[in-house]
Order: sequence, then structure tokens, then C-alpha cells
Amino acid sequence: MKELQEVLKDWEAVIGLEIHTELTTLETKMFCNCKLSHDDAPNTHVCPVCLGLPGALPVPNEQAIRSIVKAGLATNCEIQKHSMFYRKHYFYPDMAKNFQTTQGPVAFCMHGRLDLEVTGRGAAERPDCAFGEAEAQSLASASAGAVGLSADLSRMAGEGMHFGTGSKCAMSGAETGTAQGGPAPEAPASALAGLSGYDTAGLAVPERRDDGSYTVPIRILRIHMEEDAAKMVHVGGEEGRIGGAAESLIDYNRCGTPLIELVTEPDLRTPEEARLFMEKLRRIFVTLGISDCSMEKGSMRCDGNVSLRRRGDTRLGTKTELKNLNSFKALHDGLAYEICRQAEVLEEGGIIYQETRHWEPSHKRTVVMRTKETADDYRFFPDPDLAPFDLTDEFIESCRAELPELPDARRDRFERDFGIKRADAEQLAGDPQTAAFFEGAVALAAPGEAQQVANLVVNDLPAFLKAAARADADVVDDADAWLADGDVASAADTVEPAGAEGTSGDAAASSPFAAAGIEPAQVASLAHLLAGEAIASNQAAVVIEAMAGTGRDPEEIVDERGLRQVSDAGALQAIVDAVLARCSDQAQQYRDGNQKVLGFLVGQCMRESKGTGNPKLFNELLRASLS
Amino acid sequence: MPQSYDTLSAEQIAAGVRDGAFLAVEVARAALEAVEAREPEVQAFIQVTPELALAAAERIDAARAAGETLPPLAGVPLAIKDNMNLEGTRTTCASRMLESYESPYTATCAARMLKAGCLPIGKANMDEFAFGSSTDTSAFHPTNNPWDLTRVPGGSSGGSAAAVAAGMVPLALGSDTGGSIRQPAALCGVVGMKPTYGAVSRYGVVAFGSSLDQVGPFGRTVADVAAAMDALVAGGRDPYDSTSQEVAPSFAAAARGEGAVPVAGRRVGLVPAFMEAEGLTPEVRAGVERAAAALDAAGAELVEVDLPHVDAAIAAYYVIGPAEAFSNLARFDGIRYGYQEPGCTSLARQSALSRAHGFGAEAKRRQLLGAYLLSSGVYDRYYYAAQKARTLITADYARAFEQVDVILMPATPHAAFRHGEISDPTAMYLSDMYTISLNIAGNGGISVPVGLGESSGLPMAAQLVAPAFADERLIAFAAAVERGVGGAFAAGVGSPEGAVVPVPGSASVLGVAPAFAGKGGELA
Repeated sequence: MKELQEVLKDWEAVIGLEIHTELTTLETKMFCNCKLSHDDAPNTHVCPVCLGLPGALPVPNEQAIRSIVKAGLATNCEIQKHSMFYRKHYFYPDMAKNFQTTQGPVAFCMHGRLDLEVTGRGAAERPDCAFGEAEAQSLASASAGAVGLSADLSRMAGEGMHFGTGSKCAMSGAETGTAQGGPAPEAPASALAGLSGYDTAGLAVPERRDDGSYTVPIRILRIHMEEDAAKMVHVGGEEGRIGGAAESLIDYNRCGTPLIELVTEPDLRTPEEARLFMEKLRRIFVTLGISDCSMEKGSMRCDGNVSLRRRGDTRLGTKTELKNLNSFKALHDGLAYEICRQAEVLEEGGIIYQETRHWEPSHKRTVVMRTKETADDYRFFPDPDLAPFDLTDEFIESCRAELPELPDARRDRFERDFGIKRADAEQLAGDPQTAAFFEGAVALAAPGEAQQVANLVVNDLPAFLKAAARADADVVDDADAWLADGDVASAADTVEPAGAEGTSGDAAASSPFAAAGIEPAQVASLAHLLAGEAIASNQAAVVIEAMAGTGRDPEEIVDERGLRQVSDAGALQAIVDAVLARCSDQAQQYRDGNQKVLGFLVGQCMRESKGTGNPKLFNELLRASLS
Repeated sequence: MPQSYDTLSAEQIAAGVRDGAFLAVEVARAALEAVEAREPEVQAFIQVTPELALAAAERIDAARAAGETLPPLAGVPLAIKDNMNLEGTRTTCASRMLESYESPYTATCAARMLKAGCLPIGKANMDEFAFGSSTDTSAFHPTNNPWDLTRVPGGSSGGSAAAVAAGMVPLALGSDTGGSIRQPAALCGVVGMKPTYGAVSRYGVVAFGSSLDQVGPFGRTVADVAAAMDALVAGGRDPYDSTSQEVAPSFAAAARGEGAVPVAGRRVGLVPAFMEAEGLTPEVRAGVERAAAALDAAGAELVEVDLPHVDAAIAAYYVIGPAEAFSNLARFDGIRYGYQEPGCTSLARQSALSRAHGFGAEAKRRQLLGAYLLSSGVYDRYYYAAQKARTLITADYARAFEQVDVILMPATPHAAFRHGEISDPTAMYLSDMYTISLNIAGNGGISVPVGLGESSGLPMAAQLVAPAFADERLIAFAAAVERGVGGAFAAGVGSPEGAVVPVPGSASVLGVAPAFAGKGGELA
């Protein structure tokens, strides 16, 4: 198979994502009062409603509606004031009623957008031919009807268009305002307008910047509310599938967990964009405090839809749907593999079948799970047990008022107010606790030293936590989560979200740094030592280890351990002289034009000074002595 | 002097228990004796619950002995339709599918009746999952009409109606999806009320058509039905049913002629198309006219109103009902409870065979119909069209109620039919022509006896319809009909042959069916 970058020169990958997020921070399930907890003994948080027992009725969780409205506001969606729940039927034991309560053509949140900044090495995945005006046509021709939207929803959309607003059925018992009569199928034309294709003319077309980065708008089709299914474990069969299993166990604790599903338009063009979109969404949801967003635990799950078409084609190819993309790395690698696989099939004259494929990380391949010979008929219809929702302006505004500062705005503020590097600002702003800790430290730091604080919070502190975690395997996940070393696999995945009402002080206090006994004041003090070159940057780790959990001031630690950097030229010159005398061969090599040997000589000086000499000064003194 | 317990209304029983004329336990025993004497012929119950009835009665007697204030219906025996969950009983829905199913929780409607002091005598027979108008589709046994054992009691709440008509209980709960309270009440000569959708909680009632189902009471007098309605709405809207609404418990007051609903000076609508409809028997028509005359005599003005789209009600109902039933009954797959086909080797086979063998013919017919109607490509033509019809029918009623305060119409086109007499499902569906449109529109309706038919000698009834959430009007106008018609019988004016003279002190038009009156169940 060809490499991804090669494939993407000839083929355009059209990618849409369906992202499920459990609202884990809520107290109770979507339609009953059972506690939300997946960790307790199986089937301990169940009741007639979530077990779907005869006669039980759903009562919607208002807090869940608040959460989804916030998710919609934070992703620039239009909040639909009038929407309703539908029933989606399928026979499987994980759904106690044999139908899932979900939303119809009109979801609480419709037609959002996130602008995705693509930076770093991954930006190169999008080939140079996929920028500028050629891209406008690409956007316009990839519509939701073809990718990322189920047949049933398409059907309902069509039905809605057909009847238009005028035929929206009024509820019976209208004179008293009751919801009786069973919700009539909904069809406000405005909300459905997007389902058969947007006006994409107003969308910015990505342009590549000098550093290779670019910004691309990713449209969000909808975010709808639904309930999660029970967890099933199949024992004694092959690959944990129900067929052939000796027995199947069902844990209904998860059944009825409030779940929001975000469906993007097919606007993503590279696996890297898909990964970054998912990361960005995760940062937003964590900041909103609506979920712990753990891909590992399955509280955030992603399916990818991907199809290929020749560069310049406006017709979409046949898509496949990818499952088991359970980490950011899996999302990227699964899509990358599938793109290359489809290209190979197509280039050999083969056909792509519409099917669901399973990503196998261990084999680095996708395999067929099921083929869609006929579209599933879920027999969607409005749930007669749930009155249609009419959200008031007051409700929506109260949700808006509860929105915290979102990651993009916070990133821009950090960059603007503290003058730190954008990449660092992005990293810090992505998590409320990290951001709060950083701000706490900056507030105590001397003016102009914010970048040193950022360096510590982005790089040195997570490195310390990771090292500490290696010694204590119990917290290894946390440490991984806090590492921001650019490895796609290590991105934060088990972060505790901030409480919705938590102040930034609370958030800072609940950061893993605070948990490791590191205080913002210590970080500010350490930053000051680094800014003033009072210690060498490579000594920061030693100081952090000594200050964690002890409450000691880094100044004190540095003095006690004799770590203070010597920047006295006179004192250092003596060391330089001694080293040059000892390493006369290398000195001669430098004089003969071998610049590289200088590094060796600086290293010798550092060793001679027991690490306390200022390496920059050593460098200068060596150059002067050798010239 | 010993008297049969069946001569007492619910109100009189509660008053007797409250005043110490008899103990609740004595009432429970009398009721159980009456059941024992009458049930072999009527077969109104799927399960009789003496332990629960006696335990409830003992609690009431103990409370009275302790000087506590008794609840309003303390000591009143109650039959509960078997699609309503009651802890300690089976909820079978008259289906093999749930033959041995015991619910771990109690339906709100049953809980509220018990809280009001009722004694649960048993679970009443019904059409399987409430699919039917005869109670003949019960998987266990038919129920016989106490007025003529060769005839059906109507359905689907036939067991509830028959238990009241045979004098086994003064009150019963039923559910009404297309007429399932009002039609059996009419055929059995008792009062049956379907409140406005949302007035009574559906929580714990096994759903048939969620947007159509509504719980309501049966009694032999309008006042008893009113007292039961007060008990059902007391406690406010049910937080477990998000479609339930707050309703004031003003029904008993309306039955006494109190409150803001005097009949005199009000306008009563008659729908000419209903009175001329094909299939309406002359004796039913005469019965409705008798009710109209009673209201006229009470000072109401009779006017004609039109419901132009109501012809579409049966068609719309047989789309919406089956569609919702398909969805609601999907959960019965034999996996965790209910009938499970033995010896299956795959999940799909087990579900399919459990459903094939657990459900009866009518239950399967409705679910298959519903599954078809909701399927892709068919949905627009039927389900969506039915919802549009629903909107039009609802608007018809709203317009009619701009002109009148209540509408008077037949409850059924004919008197009780014989077991097996109607074998064509469509003909059976048409027997609900007067009741179904109310479930479509959501409005409340009440069926009130007006005497016996001239040709059949069987109970006749009229139906009253009120605007949504004006259900106390149903009680006020039905009470006026009851007084007028019953008073006429008592005076021997126009009393049809075989009519029972109302019991003194009770406004009941027909009382207990003659073959069973006084049979077992003496109360000292």
C-alpha cells in the first residue's frame, strides 16, 4: 500500500465524524433518577424506567438538556427552541425497550462550526493542491446527505421538506396547553434547510501559512440528545461477539446514561484534521464540565466515515464507517489506513462497498464488521411519552450565562495578555485546571516571566509527574494525561473535568500539580530563577523534585544544593583555561575550523563546574579564548 | 337486618366504615363472598387477591381504632384492570406473554386508589394487551356480560365493567385507548369515564397507545365515579408521567351540583351525523334522546354541532394505535421476563419464537400492522396522514366547544353482542365509532346508563364529551342525566320493561344486573 501522503496527492479523502459523549458529570440518568455510575457492581443503578419494565415512562433530565445546549452554544450551533424525542427501534438486549429514545430531524443543536487550526508536522498531510479556490468546490460538493447521515434521517429530512412549516401539526388539547395527541412529526423548514446541503459560499477556504499551518472551518451538522445502551459482555465466544458466545451478560448501569451525539459535515480531509477536531472538541467539553471525556473508558467515542474521490471530482465516492477508534492515535491511524486501503482498491479497479469496518490497532488494519446490503429501518417516530420541547429564551440565555471561558478565547487571551507562545497558550488553555494553575502561577511571577512559567507548566511539571508516576503505577494514567509532548497517543485522556460552578481557584486546586504538592508560588519562584539565569534550565527538574510536596521555596533549594548558576566571568575563565589546557587536541580542531567540537568543550566546562556554570557564558569565553 | 353489600354505593360504604356501621374487614369479606358467588358465571377476574384486600381492610380498621382520620374511600372494594401494576399481584395483560409476570412496582393510579382507602379485590380480565372491544381476546377466558351471560361485556376493560355491573365491586379501574372504558360501561349498564389525556397518570399502566391511553374509573353511580376521579387526581400531577397534568379534585363537588358547572342555561351539542349514522340501532338512539330530554328538563339548551372530519377518526386510530403498540410491545422479547421459548439456540430465534407463541392473534395483528405503518416509504402515507387527520379532528372539537358546553352522543352503536357474533376484525373496530375520536382528540368522555333497550332489554347508554380538562363538566352533566332518567324510572314514567328501580339513596339508573343482585356478600 502507498503512504498516506502519496495517496492524498491523487485522492481527496472526505471524512465525517460521529462523536458520542456521555454526560458523565450529571448526577442521574437521562430519563430516570438512577445514579450515573459505571464503576459500581453491575445492575445496582437500575429502576423500572431504565430497565424498560412494562408501564414505565421516561421523564427527561433537565440538567442534560442544559448540558447539550451548552455544548451547542460552545460549538456555534443554532439552538432549536422546538424539538422532540423520537424512538429508534432495533431488537438487541442492550436496549431494554428495544428502542432507543433519541432525537428526530430537528436536534437541540443544529448547524454549528468550529475553526480548526492545523499546525505542526500533521499539517503536511493536507497536500498543497488542497488549498485555495479548488477547495471551495470541494466543500460545496460534500454534503451531509451523502456522508455522515443515516438513511432514516435523510428520509425524515425529505419528509420535512415536503410538508414544510405550514403543515406542522398542532397538538390536541391545545386550548389548555397540554401536550396530548402525541407529538406530530416535526418539520420546521428552517431547521431542515441544511440537511440537503448548505450554502457553503460564505465559508473561508483554507490557505496555507508560511510555517505550513492552516485554519479550516469544520461544519457541525447537529448535536442531538439520546440515551446510552447497556453494556454487554459475551463470555466464551470468539472476539467477544454475541454469536457463538456461551453466555452474554448485561449490565444496565450504563443503560439510560445521557449521551450527546455530534455529527460533523464531511468537511475533514486528513486523519490529522480528524484527530485535531476530536481533541479540540474534547477540550471544549471538558472545559464546559459536561463530561470526563475519557476515550479509554468509553465516555467519549468516535466513529469515522470516509470516502475517496479523485482530486477535482465533485461526486462523492462510497463511504465506509470505521468503528473502534478508541484513542486519538487510533482515530488518526485507523482513518489513515482506511484511506490507503480504499486508494489501493480503487487504483486496482476494485469497488468500495458501503460497510462498517473495525480498526484493529494490533494488526494495523481495518476488517469488515458488517455490510449494509439494505438500509436499516429503525421505524423512527415521535416518542408519544415525551412532550415536545419548547426551550424558552430565558432557558437558553441562562445556559449561555453559565458558559465558562472557552479554550480558543482563553488561548487568545493567554497569548495576548501574557505574551506567551501560541502553541503553549493552546496547550494551557485546553484544560480548565491546567489553565487555572498557570494563571495562579503567573499572577505570582515577576513581570515578563510568563513564558518561563508556561514552559514549566507545559513541559517540566508534566515530565516530573510522568517520572513520578512510573514509580507509582497507580497514577500513570494521570501523568500521561498531563504530558504534552506532542505524541498523538499521549494526549490527555483521563482528565477530571472542572465542576460547572467551580471557580478557577477550585480548578487550580484540583489540578494534578496541586495533587502532587506543587504550589503556584513555587512555580513562579522557579520561573524567576530560570528567567534570571540563576540556575541552568536543565536543573529545573532537580528543583521540582525537591519542592514537590515539601512546600519549600526553590530559592532555598538552589542555595542549599549549590545549584545557583555561576555567571561570574572571572570565576568561569579559570575553568575555561583549565579545560583548554587539558583538551588541547580538541582546541586545535576548533581552531582548524571544526565548529562542532565547541559543544564538547562546553560540556567539559559544565562538568568541571559541577553543573553550576552558565553554559552560555562558557560558550562565549571559549570562543574568545580560542580566537 | 342483613343486606347485600351490593346495594351500597362506594360513598355509602366509605361512610359506613367511617361511622363505624361496619368494619372494613366485614366489607372485604362481603366483597370476597360476592365474588365467590358470582364469579363462576361472570369470570370478570384474572386474579382475586383476598390477602391484599383483607390486609388493606385491617389497616383501615386499625387506623380507625387509633382515632385516625380515614381517607375518603376507606373500605371500598376495587377491581383493577390487569394492565395496571400492583405489587404482590401478577400483571398479565390477559396475555400468555406475561402470564406469570409480577411487577416490582405499583402503578400511580392503583397506588392513589389504595391511598384513598380502596381494598384491592382482584385484577380484572381484559382483551389481550387491551386490543379489542369484547374481552374475548383474553388469553385466559372470556368474561360474560352480567345482563346476559351469552353476551360480551365489551372491552377492552370488560372485566372491570362486568365486576361492577355484577355487584362484585362498587368501583373498578379501566384504561381507555379507543373506548375501552366507555364502551364496556355502556354494554354493562354502569358509569365509565375516560378523563382528558394527561388528567390521570399512566405510570405503571402497561402501554398500548401512549398518546391515546388514559386511565379512568367505573362505578354504578356518577357520584362514585366522581369520588374515584378525585382520588386519582389527588396529589397533583405525577412526576413519573411527563404527560400528566395538574387537575383539581373537584369531581365529587360537581356530582353534588356544586362548583361552577350548573346544567341549567348551558348548551348541549348534538351531532346530527352521529344520530343518523348507519349501524346505530333505534333503541340506542332512543336512549340518547332520553338523555337529551333529561338535560332539556334540567334547563340545558340543545343545539346541533358539526364535527366534519370525525369520519377519519377510525382510520387514523388504526394507524396511530398499532404504530404505538408495535413500539410499546417491542420490549416483550422473552429475554428478562415474560414468556421465553425453551430450547432456542440463538437470540434472534428466541425472541422471534417467544413473540410468536407468547402473543395472541389480535396482538400480533396490531403489531404487524404497526411495524408496516412505520416502515420506510410507508410512514408518510399513513402515519403522517393520520397525524394530520388528528389535527383536524382535534380542531373540530375545539370549534364545536366554542358553541356548546358539552356534546351528547351515543357511546356505542348497539347493545352488547353475543360471544363470537362479530368475527370480522374491521366490523369489531367499527363498533368503536363513537368513542375513538375522543382518544384521537384527547378530550374526556363519560358513558352513563339511560335504561334498558326497548328491543334488546339490554343496558343502553349515552356519552357526554367535554372540552379538554373540563372533565368536571362530564360529571355535572352525567349526574343530571342520571337524576333525570333515574327519576323517570322511579316514577314509572316511560320506564322500559325490566328496568330496575333505583336503590333508595343512590342515584344509580340501573343498579346491579338482576341475575346477580343480592347473590352472596351479606353485610351485617
